[in-house]
Amino acid sequence: MSQLREPAFDRVVALVLRVGAFGCFFIMLAGLLMGLFVHTHIPGDIERAGVLLMLATPVVRVLVAGVLFLREKDWKYGAISFGVLAILLLGAVFGIGEH
Amino acid sequence: MLSALLVLLGFFAGLLGAMTGIGGGVLLSPILALHFGIPIREAIGTSLVAVITTSAASSSVHLQRHTTDIRLGMTLELATSLGAAVTAFLVGYFNRNALEGIFAGFLLYSSVTILLRGGKIKDAEEPTVNEDGETVIPPYEPQRYPLGLGASLFAGGLSGLLGIGGGPIKVPVMYLFMNVPLMVATATSNFMIGVTAAASAVVYYRRGDILVGLAAPLAVGVFLGSLLGARLAPRIHTKYVVYLLVAIMLYLAGHLFVHLLTGKSA
Repeated sequence: MSQLREPAFDRVVALVLRVGAFGCFFIMLAGLLMGLFVHTHIPGDIERAGVLLMLATPVVRVLVAGVLFLREKDWKYGAISFGVLAILLLGAVFGIGEH
Repeated sequence: MLSALLVLLGFFAGLLGAMTGIGGGVLLSPILALHFGIPIREAIGTSLVAVITTSAASSSVHLQRHTTDIRLGMTLELATSLGAAVTAFLVGYFNRNALEGIFAGFLLYSSVTILLRGGKIKDAEEPTVNEDGETVIPPYEPQRYPLGLGASLFAGGLSGLLGIGGGPIKVPVMYLFMNVPLMVATATSNFMIGVTAAASAVVYYRRGDILVGLAAPLAVGVFLGSLLGARLAPRIHTKYVVYLLVAIMLYLAGHLFVHLLTGKSA
């Protein structure tokens, strides 16, 4: 089943992505600019926070879409979303500390 | 200064990527490897952050035009993210030369495909607009899910291996075999790239293969470049930009081969 016309659904998911992209852009930019003047670990930590939030944005997007599907009682696509979420989280868990 | 140079590099990669529809990520890793002396695996991990940034920014625009099929995208993401996580994990055991060789091969293959199509990457399909200014999409029903999932697994695997989006594989499969309109296929592929890249990026990050000090300035530059590129794209003849992109890709492929054979930068 394909349903493209779900403006509210699209808007919520778009909002998550936009907040993530713009938010992380400004956080990373702040870290970079601060690095010009401050020579401690703080600018680097801010940049790391920006990068980690950027990696988290698609994960949040999957979670939000999954919750929206469940609220619509669309169990099939809710389950698919949480399946994708599980793969993302498993990757994060299993990649631990191999150098 | 290094950060400023990386912002600039990201800016041009993002600009070219947004104007041509080919993700700029494909340029970033080889340039980081060849010109900044970053080991190829770290170069790939680092440019994944820029790939996620671009996908998030551009697919939020597609979503607002309601051209993204979220259900189809989510379904295929089961396969792309699985493929990406698995190859991202395996890359830890690859040797550097094999990875550079595969990357060079991929660049060469992409360049040849674009040239054979006469420099046309973007769809010629103009969106139809109704009286309310909304994009009209003909009704469709995605077909052949097994084929789509298989192709997505492959595209995801390639994405986890090389840190690229995999759009050139997913778009034709959705359009030609799954009966999805081209406009929707493009938007949906773009939508999937962020999650696919994130699936491998978390693995690269845990392994220490994302160099944050480089990833941040690159992502900042790519973000600005793709915003500008998306605005410029409708106003200029993208054909010449595509040839420029192909020239850079061929140069990078050649440089990678030389690097492989001689063990040093040409």
